Amino acid sequence: MNMISKILAHLAQRKVFCLATTVDSGDPQIPVGRKAIVWPDGRMEETFGSPCFDKALRDLAVKALAERESDTVEVADKVHAFFDILSPDAKLLICGAGHIAMPLARFAREVGFMVTVLDDRSDFAHPLRFPGCEVIAEDYAPALRNMPLGPSSHAVVITRGHEHDSDCLMEILPKETAYVGLIGSRRRIDFVLEELVRKGISRERCKEVFTPIGLPIGAESPEEIALSIVSELVCVRRRGPQQAQALRAAPGGVQ
Amino acid sequence: MTNEEIFRKLAEFETKGITVCLATIVKTAGSTPREAGAKMIVCADGTTYGSVGGGCGENQVRSAAFRCLLSTKKPELIEVDLTDDLGTKGGDVCGGRMRIFIEPL
Repeated sequence: MNMISKILAHLAQRKVFCLATTVDSGDPQIPVGRKAIVWPDGRMEETFGSPCFDKALRDLAVKALAERESDTVEVADKVHAFFDILSPDAKLLICGAGHIAMPLARFAREVGFMVTVLDDRSDFAHPLRFPGCEVIAEDYAPALRNMPLGPSSHAVVITRGHEHDSDCLMEILPKETAYVGLIGSRRRIDFVLEELVRKGISRERCKEVFTPIGLPIGAESPEEIALSIVSELVCVRRRGPQQAQALRAAPGGVQ
Repeated sequence: MTNEEIFRKLAEFETKGITVCLATIVKTAGSTPREAGAKMIVCADGTTYGSVGGGCGENQVRSAAFRCLLSTKKPELIEVDLTDDLGTKGGDVCGGRMRIFIEPL
């Protein structure tokens, strides 16, 4: 298998690894543009043909992986390698395929999320409404129960009714996620969250739910609301959930 | 475009037997529009996928990619300087510098 196919296969497995490429070299033995994959445990796929150089490169790549920092490093005298930390694309799961879901899916795709849309109504969860997205028309709870979520998963719950919201959250919250957001009025949200606590979800986990959803930019139309949600997603992905919470707490923000 | 989409596109070109250039930001200093790891594919017909920051810097990348695809066939490391004085017409005034690796794949 060649390098590009290997990289794609590893990303599809949702693995994080380092792609090391020599970007300049004063050593005729080490060609420029040669690539190797280095895993966090130090395993290597492909080598540069010099055991000493391979070892130096591997140790530095493992360090770069631990720091999650893509950068160019001098591996040997006059030989530099770029360590590209590759991780699977961020995923966005949208529960509820109504008015907001369409612009939300579109904007989220544009900023680099792989989008999955779930709704129990097949005319709403229809591939034609969500180009480029994975679309699932099934009942919420069973579909979510079988869905793998993880540290790069973001979930937005915007179903048509609070009973569906709570069905979704009952399945999502016990799993690890990067972000969970819930739409709704204060009254509806409080009702849903209280019910979740009664059903055994911890109050701490419920407090992590971003609700009302989206950064407070005064959004009103479905497109504006979608934009405020996507802004929040970008902030969580790039700067972490604390920063997104801080923006919500700004004067004039979420009450 | 995400990394996965870039690599999928590269795989597509590879299957078709078309050589393209991959430009990757490999080092940044100061203010730059994108971080190390941002990628852009440049095809011989000028089509691009992804972005290494846009603007004049990207023109420099395209020129280097054409040089690589049409003549040298060799990887190249270029330095893009975005430290033009503020107000320079068509200038790159972000304030930083980036090193971009351009390779035929």
